[in-house]
Amino acid sequence: MSVPVTGHTTESLTTWLAERFALYLSRSPAEIDPSVPLAEYGLDSVAALSLCGDIEEDFDLVLEPTAAWDYPTVAALAGHLMAEFEAAASGAA
Amino acid sequence: MLIGTAAQGTHDGPAEAGSGQEDRAAARVAELEERFGDPTGTAGALTYARLLEADEAGELPEAGERLLDELALNADFVPAAHGGRLERIDTLVRVMRQVFRRDIALGLGYGVTSFMAGVNVWSSGSEAQQRRLAALLLAGGKVSVAYHELAHGNDFVRNEFEARPGASGGYVLHGAKQVINNADRAAAWVLFSRTDPGPGSRSHSVLFVERDGIDRDTYRVLPRYDAVGVRGCHLSGLDFDGCPVPASSLVGEQGRGVELALRAFQITRSAVPGMALGAADTSLRTVVRFALGRRLYRRSVMDIPHARATLGNAFLDLLTCDSLSLAATRAVHLLPEETSVYAAATKYLVPKTLTDAMNDLSIVLGARFYVREGEFGIFQKHVRDLPVLSLGHAGSAACQATIIPQLPRLARRAWFRDAPAPDALFRLRGDLPGIPFDRLTLASGRDGLSARLVAAIDELPSGTPAQRSVHGTALRLMDELRQVQEESLALAPQDRTALASPAGFALADRYAVLLAAASVVGVWQQAAAAGDDPFLAAPEWAAAALHRLSARLGHRPADLPGGCEEAVHAEVLRRFHERRSYDLYNTPLAG
Repeated sequence: MSVPVTGHTTESLTTWLAERFALYLSRSPAEIDPSVPLAEYGLDSVAALSLCGDIEEDFDLVLEPTAAWDYPTVAALAGHLMAEFEAAASGAA
Repeated sequence: MLIGTAAQGTHDGPAEAGSGQEDRAAARVAELEERFGDPTGTAGALTYARLLEADEAGELPEAGERLLDELALNADFVPAAHGGRLERIDTLVRVMRQVFRRDIALGLGYGVTSFMAGVNVWSSGSEAQQRRLAALLLAGGKVSVAYHELAHGNDFVRNEFEARPGASGGYVLHGAKQVINNADRAAAWVLFSRTDPGPGSRSHSVLFVERDGIDRDTYRVLPRYDAVGVRGCHLSGLDFDGCPVPASSLVGEQGRGVELALRAFQITRSAVPGMALGAADTSLRTVVRFALGRRLYRRSVMDIPHARATLGNAFLDLLTCDSLSLAATRAVHLLPEETSVYAAATKYLVPKTLTDAMNDLSIVLGARFYVREGEFGIFQKHVRDLPVLSLGHAGSAACQATIIPQLPRLARRAWFRDAPAPDALFRLRGDLPGIPFDRLTLASGRDGLSARLVAAIDELPSGTPAQRSVHGTALRLMDELRQVQEESLALAPQDRTALASPAGFALADRYAVLLAAASVVGVWQQAAAAGDDPFLAAPEWAAAALHRLSARLGHRPADLPGGCEEAVHAEVLRRFHERRSYDLYNTPLAG
């Protein structure tokens, strides 16, 4: 697994995730409250699975397909992604 | 990546030495067929006449159920490690196909429901739950499975039936589950239950609840549904009102119900469509009998080109469906990480193709299609029963919705990059390792099956016109995969959800057809290498089957070379006269 070279922040990941889910849900990113479970916006379990593919594409990071089930809000996912990036970085160092 | 080198050279030939898997499978199929007897005869529990009588009465055939009890069919749903016969999913399909040849309602109502319920427990249950389930099934009991609630359809994450954590450590059940096969008579139920009021995919759990253990005053069985098809099935519901169940009812971990169900679906969606192929086999056989016997315009119906072509095409559809079913069920053993899409493609494409084939056959049958009794009466029953396969368990659209979000990832990572699936995936009678329940994953990003199609382009022979036809069509299908890849990469994020646009659903359809084509190529290559079945080893059927799939994709493939349609037609007649099954196995039948 390759390691992200750019410095991600919780803020940048929150923005990226909100924009991504806004696309899935055909809403504007401003409508996505980072603390509200995405299922409440109508995100189905299968669409949640496709998130890992998008993260892999944009960040070159392989996640469990169920990550969006275990971290069901934008805020929780951003925190999880940060932890994964840090783990990947320290694993490679 | 699994490559079939370890398996090569040991799995050829009809009856393999060693493990005895093939001998056991063939013997079990033959045992069932012998006990079932000639379906067109007058004696026996499972003649068409008896089955039609039971259907008219809205009941499962009682003598038929007793016969299946005597044959201990439930043992076929219990893993060998727990005292049953279940070793391989493709073998279970073969065995159950014998029942579905006679009666879809009996196949579902006697057996498949218990199998579907059981898979959840075999894959994720505790040792004690597995022992208990095995004991119930081996004693002849039935087990129901309840995923759905009518109001939520396949969107079962929105289910409201609740198992509230109780004071003493167990759960208290509240609410109703509808359209459950055998709800009224099952010894136990596998219940997909909400265990957390929060939204999302971690709020549900699977419970295994025995009827005998619970308070009779806290639940009731809802009235039976009256359905258009499978009229004998005991489709009813359960309504719980504060029913306490022990903590030991929980299957796997609390909150993991969605994941558990999706894993179980990979096995059941791979398996059930291929079982139903038996009903389409009987339907084809019935129409062949009609076409050979009926005289119109001073010739038999079989001499009318349209009728002849329709029968040949139906046979090709059966072979194609069986090829995909074979690859999907063997993938459970060999490529468990990839099974998610193959199972969904099988559950989507096979029932649809079989239903279309039956509709085409009904045109040949003409007015007799409407007759409910007599020589051709079984046809209309199968036509009414078969659509249940597209509805129950996982609707066609739900299966496409499983495929769609995986397409961009497959397009990016898998197609034209992965190594081809091992040869063993396509060997009808080849041994398999056990079922690796723990390796089934929800989404994989790998696809060795379509890679088989791509690899074949460089491997396929081109000596005869039929071989060149296979090669040419395979090339065209590979182009189609390239197009599906491009369109999948361009799929907008909002089109990757269950609410995808029609274009997303069309992509999933085309991909499923390509997986079927790859399966046909794989089966033909292995049959040609083994050489024990002259019809399957020859290229004519593969050329004709691929031609049909290519046309279904909207291509305009070049005309088939002479000899292909004739070879298929000759095999339709041979198998009718020699009483052999219309599937890959060429199984001897009682009638």
